Formats: sequence, structure tokens, C-alpha cells
Amino acid sequence: MTELLTETIVQEPHRIRGLEMPWNRVMGSTEGPASAARALGPWHPQEFMAECVEIVPEVGGMMTFVFRRCDGAPLAFRAGQYVNVAFPVNGEDQDPADRSYSLSSAPTKPWTFDITVKRDPTGLVSPWVHQNIKPGTVLEMLGPVGAFHLPDADRRARYLLLAAGAGITPIMSMVRTIHSLPGQADVVVLYHGAADEGFAFNKELAYIASVDSRIRVFYSLGDRAKPADWEGLSGRLTAAMLNEVAPDANGRQVYACGPEGYLNTATELLGNVGVDDTSIHMEFFTGDRQTILEYQAELALAVDIAEEIAEEIADSAEDYYEGQPAAFGLYEPGYDAEGTLQATGMPLETVDPDAPEASDDGSDAGAEVSTPDASSFETVGTGSLTLSFMRTGINVRVDPTEHILGPAQRAGVRIGANCKEGMCGSCKVVKLSGEVEMNHQGGIRAREIDAGKFLPCCSTARTDMVIDA
Amino acid sequence: MSAPVLPLNSRGKLASSLPAEQLAEISALFEFRRKGYSLDAPFYTDATIFKMDMEAIFGQHWIFAGSVAELPEPGDYITVDYGPYSLIVLRNDDGGVNVLHNVCRHRGARVLTEAAGATGNLVCGYHSWTYSPEGNLIHASAPGEAKFDKNCFALKRAHGREVAGLIFVCIADEPPTDFDETSRIFEPYLAPHDLSKTKIAYQQNIIEEGNWKLVMENNRECYHCDGHPELACSLFPTWGLTEGLIPAHLEEVWDRNKEAQSSLEERCRRYGLPYEVVEELDTRIAGIRISRESLDGEGESFSADGRRLSKKLLGDLPDFRLGRCSMHLQPNSWFHFQSDHVITFGVFPINEHQSLVRTTWLVADDAVEGVDYDLEKLTYTWKQTNLQDKAFVELCQTGAGSPAYEPGPYMKSEYQVEAFINWYVQRVQEHLA
Repeated sequence: MTELLTETIVQEPHRIRGLEMPWNRVMGSTEGPASAARALGPWHPQEFMAECVEIVPEVGGMMTFVFRRCDGAPLAFRAGQYVNVAFPVNGEDQDPADRSYSLSSAPTKPWTFDITVKRDPTGLVSPWVHQNIKPGTVLEMLGPVGAFHLPDADRRARYLLLAAGAGITPIMSMVRTIHSLPGQADVVVLYHGAADEGFAFNKELAYIASVDSRIRVFYSLGDRAKPADWEGLSGRLTAAMLNEVAPDANGRQVYACGPEGYLNTATELLGNVGVDDTSIHMEFFTGDRQTILEYQAELALAVDIAEEIAEEIADSAEDYYEGQPAAFGLYEPGYDAEGTLQATGMPLETVDPDAPEASDDGSDAGAEVSTPDASSFETVGTGSLTLSFMRTGINVRVDPTEHILGPAQRAGVRIGANCKEGMCGSCKVVKLSGEVEMNHQGGIRAREIDAGKFLPCCSTARTDMVIDA
Repeated sequence: MSAPVLPLNSRGKLASSLPAEQLAEISALFEFRRKGYSLDAPFYTDATIFKMDMEAIFGQHWIFAGSVAELPEPGDYITVDYGPYSLIVLRNDDGGVNVLHNVCRHRGARVLTEAAGATGNLVCGYHSWTYSPEGNLIHASAPGEAKFDKNCFALKRAHGREVAGLIFVCIADEPPTDFDETSRIFEPYLAPHDLSKTKIAYQQNIIEEGNWKLVMENNRECYHCDGHPELACSLFPTWGLTEGLIPAHLEEVWDRNKEAQSSLEERCRRYGLPYEVVEELDTRIAGIRISRESLDGEGESFSADGRRLSKKLLGDLPDFRLGRCSMHLQPNSWFHFQSDHVITFGVFPINEHQSLVRTTWLVADDAVEGVDYDLEKLTYTWKQTNLQDKAFVELCQTGAGSPAYEPGPYMKSEYQVEAFINWYVQRVQEHLA
């Protein structure tokens, strides 16, 4: 009896909105992040030693080298970034040859990382790498480097990933990263190769595309003759091809990697189909003198930062972590420093209740009251706690059991009040420091409390206080 | 209740607010309205007819008040004033909208005096009568008052509802029920733009020296669009025209428009976005016109070259080239929903010769000014257009005041103006019947 495999309807997974890197929330949390998660967070380049643990031959003359850091730390990076590796091509006692290679693995599996190297028979380094790097080989590295990477949080997460030849390596990292994460995304990959047996990672890409409905992969065979059984696209990149694979390209963020000629064509075509300049991100695998200089500058900056960070680590582990935000800001486009974390829609901003500008009604309270010195104020009343009213310029002593409003008003502090039951909110004032216990009845909103306001008619002091009144 | 009531509370009895003689005069004016012609001068200039409009139109129908972006959080409110009315529209803790008459039950003072803000309870500034967000009087100091019952003095409530992020209010005791059907028409057009994830980039309040009907009439035709050079860059000036009505100098534009429209419709079908014209401006009580139409140039937004004005797409929209989804609702609003930003327009009559026009530009709530959008560029086209429209409306208002004025014919391209006036006449006559 023959069993027929019938088509099964598979329902779409229910997903959270948008895409968010796993470290995003850690970075945004205000308390010190959990130490295990914090290990994912050093977004600045470092110099480290790494050991090759595996070699995976790929089609198209490429080879993937799997490394782990010798110090056992995970390698934290963003999908799309690269490392600079010192290869001792002329022997251990000679100057090594430095080369930059995109990371092809996903940062969501950070304990090992991959670089994929295409063999260029005329090159100095790549043939040496293919021939000499073996499991056990230890190399000196600098990384991660580069501003070509996915954002940390993206509630739209609609991408067009363009790759030509070995340009697939950072794109592969992006595909693997998105595939490993939950969340809504819409990814189109258009991968150009020179020969049908030249598409590295094609089996994995086919697998991911078959199981992950968010990701679609298209292949094109460039301008070479195509075999009879070729089912992909053919020809170089054109506007028609872009329109065919992604008719909504103009609404996507585009990440493109490949040789210079390919990328220049891509820039022009993307403009033709309506993609905004600021939505195009590129990584050059070959380039003119200016491109090379730009990468050299990027690397030089990375070396400087790595040195600074190394010094800080030496000084104090604590300083090291506190030093992060300033350092990783250098490597981010403007939006990362300012807005990406907020882009998730999460309330990541916190208000320091001690900050003098806590008032949100536009009053100039903060600037004025920080100057007078409360110790010079007259002190009135009896009680165990001292309330300093900065505008009035008086200290009022109160008991922890009595509501603040009465003693304050008796001492001549001008606080309007009506219901005296925490309902009307007329007596609302800003506390600059200290703690109160408040039993209000709707006269104040939670976010006003967060902003440091309280109702003295229904609040008792728990500590000494400084009040903007 | 023996408390004195506002005339409107005696429903349907216009005599309570207008003397019978005036009423008969007004009825006659409506009776003799010449179809296809602009209204007689008193409709634009007479205080009694204005009073009539407030009762029969603004007192009976669903009025656009604002959008969810204006009151995103519990406690956020806006005040909306029209004619003699002032309403508080307040986001409550359950996520709904409370609509309260902004008239203190003590001596009638305005309870909230700001146009917008956030509040816990509502405290009248005069004698500190304090109301809960639901309008209940919860505190009034009453020394020596033995029989003062707070329960009798809640703020008067009105109806409020939110559809696709737009907030509507109605002060009638029993609002018209066909707004449900109208909501079902426009909700699918607007929902993909997800107003709940937008923020106000800019709000403009203009007082136009013109009757509210002239403001609405002016908006309903593009016959005058030669007077909008900035708008004409992206809005096809053939708007409102049909095959056979195209003047020679617009033929080229017409062809471009047709091509852009078919390309837009293809995109809409791909994304499942509705685009068909639904036009029920005077065939239902909650009159509506909605469609998604192409824009010139790149077809993305109201800019000189049709390019996007904000880099962040709204909602889950996949594409910037979605033209404009435009909606017109009787009696006081119109809207343009683009992929990158939304513009809402509300008309709030002040008196027979003045109207407040409130224009609000909304962008994605994660769009950053100066990074994702330039505020000047974002608002430029419609700021200019609004000023030009203000001047047009004022020209007409002045004209209606002249003894030489007599109603003129609406042209074919102005059929939507006629529909608005026809809607207005029908609604008032129903009210008078």
C-alpha cells in the first residue's frame, strides 16, 4: 500500500510585533543588567585571541572557519559586523598580514563565531588561510567593527538583503539572526552568483526559507550562461528584478554587500524604485582608494577604542561597564544613541525623582531652587523631621504622623488647597528630595508621582525633605 | 428635576430657543432654497440661523473632536469649543473616552480652561468644585450647608466614541444611529495607518473670518486649486473632474493621474488595502466620502516632488507609495492619510462669521524630529494651502455680506459642495419638522 503525503495546512505562528535583539532590553534596563546577559553587551571592539575549532568547506571556493575566544568570553557583535584578523602568513616571527572578514554566524549564538573566506588564487592571504588554518590554530583578532548591521530594535523590520558572491557572508549573519529570533519581520534576500554551484550556504538558505515564512530567498545567475535545469532568476541586478522580488522595496531597509561595481549599480537602481538614500546600507568587499581609506579609518578608530577599553578593564571592571555607553556610541549611527531603544515602544526612560527639573508643567522650579542654602533658613515648629521649603525659604519641623500641608501652611508656605482629602489636587507640589507616604484619592496621577510630585494634604514625611514650594 | 434646563434639553422644541416668527422665516428660507445654487446670504451672515445650525447640526450629529494621538494616556484631555458649547474630552482609566460639558454645576464657570492637558480629578478654578473623571461631583466645600446633595450636581455628560483612532462627540440625547454604518465604511481604510501609534508633530489653529459652511464648501472642490500652487505639486489638480470635463491645459495631468491611479490600485490590491470611492455625502445622516487616491510625482506624500516627508512608515504599512486615503465627514471634518503621516482637519464654528480650523499633523510615534522628518517641510504644503483657503473663505464671507450678493450656480466639478449643502438643508428640515 502506498501512503501519499498529503498537503498539511500549517498555521502561521503568532508573533510579537517587530524585531528586537536579545541584548536590547538588557542595555535599556536601568539597574545593572544581569551579569550573564551583560556579557553580550560590549559593543566596542576589543583585541583578543581566538582558537579555530572547526572548518566547514562551502561551495563556491569558500571555507568557513569556526572560532571561539581563548578567554572563554562570548563574542558580542551585531549581525553584519566584521573582525580584523592578523594572519601570520610569513611565519610567527614576521609581521602578520591584517585582513577584515565579515562574521557570517549569528550573534545569538555567541560562544563561537564564524568567518567565511573565499579563496582568491592570486591573493596573498586567502590561499594561505585555506591551507594553514586548522582546528587548534590560534589567531589575534580585533572586533567587532563596522556600522553595517541590523538595528537593535525595529518594529517594522522589513528588509531587502542584497548579496553578490562572497557578499553573502554578512547577509548570512543577518538571515541567521532573524531566523533565530521571535518577532515579526519581512525579509527578501536576493543573492547573485557567478555559477550555479557558487552559492555558498544555499542548502541552509533553502532550509530557512522553507521553514521560516518571514524569509524569502531569490537567486540570480548573473550574466553567465545558465544550465538547463536552473530555476532561479538570471541576469545582473535590474530595476525590473528588484520590482519582481520586492515590489515594496521603497518601504524596506536595504542591506547590500558585494564588490564595488555591483553596489554602485544597486545604489542607482534602488533610487529608481523609490528607496530613500537613508534606507540603504552598504558594505564593500572591493573598493577604490577612498573606500579602502574609509575602512582603514574605521579600523584605526577600532584599535583606539579597543586600547581605551583594555585600559579601563585593567583599572576596574566596574568602570569598564560604566564606560560602555560612550564607547559604543562611536560605532553607531545617530539613532542608536538617541532612539533605537525607545523605538520598541517600551518606557525605557526613567525619571530621577531627585532631579530638580522633575516638574513637567514647564515651571522653572528646578533652576531657581537649587541655589538657596536651606541651612541658612529660619526653622519653625517641632518634630523629628525637617522639611525645607526652597521657594519660601523656611525649614518646618514635623512629626512623621502629621500631614505635611497643615504645618507648612501655618509656617507661611503658600500652597493652595481645597479638599484636603487628596481628591482635588490643588495642593500638588514637587519634592526635590526625601520620601513621603501618600494616601490620595485620585487627585494625582501615577506619572505625576513618578515625576516627583505629591499632595501634601494627604502625605506624611518619612524622611527629611526638600520641597519646591 | 426642577432645576432650570437648557433649551436644548427640551428636545425637538425649537420654540424654546427661537421665537415662532423667526422660525417661520427660517423655514421659508430653507423651503425656497434653489438646488444647485449657493445659499442665500442670511445662511452665512445671520446670527439666528447660526443658532439654528448649532441646534440642528452641531447639537444633533456626531462631530469630529480630535484623534487618539491628542489624548494617548489616562487623564489626558482636550477641550473642544463650538458655538456656545464647550466639551471636555478625556481619556479615562479604562482606555475609553469621557465627554463632559465644560460647565461647572455651581455657577457655570469653565471647569478646564486649557485647550489640552492632563488631569486627575477636574477642579473648577472658581470655587474648587471637584469632579471625578466621570463627571461626578466628589468635593465641594459646603460650610453650614445641611441639605447639599453632591449627587445632584454632576457635570453633564455627552456621547463619545473612537473609531480607528478618531474621536467623535455628540451632545444629542440620542445620537444618530447610522454612524455605526459609516464607521464600518471608513474603519478598514484607516486602520492600517494605526493612529494609536502616532504622535502630534504639529497642530495649527486658524480662525477664519467666515461662516463654517463656507469653510466646508471651500474644501469640497478643487475648482479653485489654481490658487494652491504648493498643493498642486502633489495633489492632482484634476481632483473632482471626470472624463469629458477635462480642460485642455489639464489633459496631460489627467493622463498622468490615470496612470498613477492604476498603479496605486495595483499596490492596494497587493496589500489588501481598500481604495474604492464610497460617496454617501448626502444619502445618509452621517454623510461620508472616502477613497484612496494617487498623488503626483513619487506618489508618497504632500511634498513638492511627492516624496515622503517622514521616514517612518505608519502602522504595518509596507510601502511608501500609497497616495492619500482621503475622507470627508459631515458636518465638520476631512482627513488625509498617507503612508508617512496623517493630517486631520476639524472645523469648529465660533459664530456666524468666524470659524476655528484645527489642522493636526501626525507622524509615527517613534519618528524623531530632525532625524526622520523636518517639521517645516512636513507642514509646509498644508500650512500654505490653509492660509490660501482662509483667504478664499474670507472673500466669500465678505461677498455674502454685500446687498448685491445673490446665490450663484455650483459647477459640475463642485457637485460635492452641492452634496454638502443638500445634506445640511435636509438635516435642518428634518429637525424643524
